[in-house]
Amino acid sequence: MFAYAIRRTLVIIPTLFFVSVVCFVIIQLQPGSFTDRYLEDPRITQETVNRINAQLGLDKPLHEQYFRWIWGIITRGDFGFSFFANRPVNSMIGERIGWTIVVAGTTMLFSWLIAIPLGIYTAVNRNGVTDAISSFIGYIGLAIPDFLVALLLISLVLNTGGRNVGGLFSPAFIGAPWSIAKFLDLLNHLWIPILAIGTAGIATVMRQMRANLLDVLNADYVRTAKSKGLKPRVVTNRHAVRNAINPLITIAGLSLPELLNGTIITAIVLNLPTIGPLLYDSLLAKDQYVAMTLLLISSLLLMIGNLLADLALAWADPRIRYD
Amino acid sequence: MKVHSLISTLIAGLITISLAQPLTVPDYSSIGIEPGTPGGTLTLTLSDPPPRFFYYGEISTISQTLTQQIFDSLVEFDLATYELTPGLATSWDISEDGTVYTFNLRQDVTWHDGEPFTADDVIFTYEQIITNPEARAGDAAQFVFNIDGEEQHVQFEKIDDHTVRMTLPTASAAFLLQQRFFIMPKHKLLEFSQEGGAAAADINNAWPTDGELSDVVGTGPYMLSDYVAGQKVTLTKNPNYWKVDANGTQLPYIDTVEYLIVSGTEAQTAQFLAGNIDQLNISGAQFPDLKAQEVAGADFRVVGSDALFGSPPHLAFNFDAADPDLAAVFSDVSFRQAMEYAVNRERIINDVYNGLAQIPGTPTAPVDGTFYKDTTSLMRNYDLEAANAALDALGYTDTDGDGTRNITPDKELEFGLTYSVDSSTYTDIATIIQNDFSLVGVKVNLQGVQGSSLFGTALSGDFDSLIIAFGNQPDPELRKPIWQPGGSLYYWHRSTQPAEEGGSVNFDAMADWEKRVYDIFDEGSKLTDQDARVALYQEWQEINAENLPVIMIAKPSNSAAVYNHVHNFVYSLGVIPGYNPLPLYYIQ
Repeated sequence: MFAYAIRRTLVIIPTLFFVSVVCFVIIQLQPGSFTDRYLEDPRITQETVNRINAQLGLDKPLHEQYFRWIWGIITRGDFGFSFFANRPVNSMIGERIGWTIVVAGTTMLFSWLIAIPLGIYTAVNRNGVTDAISSFIGYIGLAIPDFLVALLLISLVLNTGGRNVGGLFSPAFIGAPWSIAKFLDLLNHLWIPILAIGTAGIATVMRQMRANLLDVLNADYVRTAKSKGLKPRVVTNRHAVRNAINPLITIAGLSLPELLNGTIITAIVLNLPTIGPLLYDSLLAKDQYVAMTLLLISSLLLMIGNLLADLALAWADPRIRYD
Repeated sequence: MKVHSLISTLIAGLITISLAQPLTVPDYSSIGIEPGTPGGTLTLTLSDPPPRFFYYGEISTISQTLTQQIFDSLVEFDLATYELTPGLATSWDISEDGTVYTFNLRQDVTWHDGEPFTADDVIFTYEQIITNPEARAGDAAQFVFNIDGEEQHVQFEKIDDHTVRMTLPTASAAFLLQQRFFIMPKHKLLEFSQEGGAAAADINNAWPTDGELSDVVGTGPYMLSDYVAGQKVTLTKNPNYWKVDANGTQLPYIDTVEYLIVSGTEAQTAQFLAGNIDQLNISGAQFPDLKAQEVAGADFRVVGSDALFGSPPHLAFNFDAADPDLAAVFSDVSFRQAMEYAVNRERIINDVYNGLAQIPGTPTAPVDGTFYKDTTSLMRNYDLEAANAALDALGYTDTDGDGTRNITPDKELEFGLTYSVDSSTYTDIATIIQNDFSLVGVKVNLQGVQGSSLFGTALSGDFDSLIIAFGNQPDPELRKPIWQPGGSLYYWHRSTQPAEEGGSVNFDAMADWEKRVYDIFDEGSKLTDQDARVALYQEWQEINAENLPVIMIAKPSNSAAVYNHVHNFVYSLGVIPGYNPLPLYYIQ
């Protein structure tokens, strides 16, 4: 088990290296360059742009740009700097990662806390009224893009005279020290992204949980357990659910990178200070080191998520053995 | 002895006070400005976080917007007439031959940290920052003149603490107009300059957003007081600002200006409707919805104004298109004239801009009282029959009967139209043009590109036809690189540009009218007699209307939505140095 974990961790390194090359090539394949924007201003001459290119190192050959970037990461943990913000990428990501985790974490918690019990309930009481209603709502939640839900919620808030549209705080609380009032203001803003992003997640997880549990409930050992006279509640909770939840661990692992880039459009619509809009802006602006770093982190999270899911599965499911 | 020195200090103080003459702003009642009352908070938006607070270190409209409130320039625009008025310079003299400019500086001005503002700051700003070629948003090229192939520089000289002199190698008509550069504090920036021992490019590192905010001191109406990374910038009133209103009330009126950082039109509009921001610049597309809410009794008003600044879109044909047949067609003035008949300006103004636009100049702004030449009578108004007749006369007929005219029997009159998909405005204009052109047998293939790459596409010449907009300025000289054939932004006829950087323009590629335009801009920049310049530039606008280097489409009005508790609102693009109405706003 331990050797397996080490082996899997080591495999991440060459994969990441390969991913970094792919990211760099893709970014370079985009037409135009970061400094093209400047030429729009008639005050800016081509000479100025060439000089800025030199200051940014954009006049260097591509392989040199790449190796300087990767060398900075390996030796100093320095992910380069943002042309657009003129700051180290590390600090830009640093100031947004906290809110990203808060928003994504609460959203995930919200959707799983609702979805799993609901999935169990609808599987056990299959084809009942609650099953029909929650499946119906679930499908709608899946079908409506989350940014549209966000826009509808904004419109709802505006129509009821609310002012908590977008962002995580009211203007008065931005930069204010923490207080009960500020925390309440945060909650008053946070429910919109949680609901907008969470609804689609609820549907996915609930359907998955329901299907898994139905499979298990029809399995031979459940029938055996029932025929031995165990209470249905015990059969479901202690035996069936435990087995049905395994695939969800994999899903949880795979959704780790979504923390970063799963909800870009919603985050833009809601003006959230999270990583998503940063990735979008950097791709549009050809702010190469920011974009490459975020893509790299995203794939790293995917690999870590996979690894964690596999380890968690090994721990949760005694049938899985790696040695 | 002590008493004596005290008295002399007092006398010196009295003299200083008597010298202190705040500037009374002119009577702007013509644009609806009235005396206001101090106090209150105004909340505005920025679309992105500021990259840094040092204006010359980064080319960014966000930095410009903030800098405009924190700093001042030597001269400013009159808000109503766009004439130059005193700023940090109370007056100026220009020598007979137009080469020596002497600026008398305001005596009573202090930086936000209390240090006095002197000629040293001005000289430092020009010598160490603006003319430093490594300063990213500097403007070194403006101060270098090419005389007989030799580079000569403008000289800056301190005459005394409150007088500076600038000596030009040769007369330059728009020089004064350009002196709207923001003046920076020497005592705070010396360490980043070459004079202070730093490398030339180090100047760009001044005032990062995570640095000490108290270092960012200006002379302007507002002081930088707080920045919450990525979320909000707060400015507070400079109590010692040097402007007062007609009643002698200290400006600016408003105590605190907050900028919320909100990206995207939808998010900004939502914040405005929620009442979290007080004013929003809007597009013609947003107008009907917001206007309807105003009419329905909302507490805000939607205002439109025909301002000089702002960018009128045009349609350009690539004289040097990659396809030699198309290049020949596009280079032909008769073809461009024929196509102008098929551009439906009225419809674009009504349908796309919801009426918030007017027939453009060629290309000066109709509201420009100095240079604008009304060329409407020379324009070919929408007339499909005339377009058809003109195309027939050119010999482009539909020989194969497929509904599209042919250049040669086996080549259709068909080309791409490149435009930005970022705004619905340009998409709609492109579609209208495509449709009208198809009605006269010209097939247009729409090629939408990202707004950020549109300009690069134009400059690289990689298009057949293209829709883009360049802003208007109060003097055509400031737009010379765009409109002078061979200029760096004369993108629709790139073969006129110098073969290599710094080389001479290619006169052989120019048509006769282009040669004339070239001469007009050459002369216009040297002449100092304003009437003669106006005559020259008006001739140029007539040449444009006739020869259509590009087809001007519409001049959009500027519109904004603003809550009713904000008074004295005057539209401002936010990024025009020397044009800052914000100190006159008041809240009630």
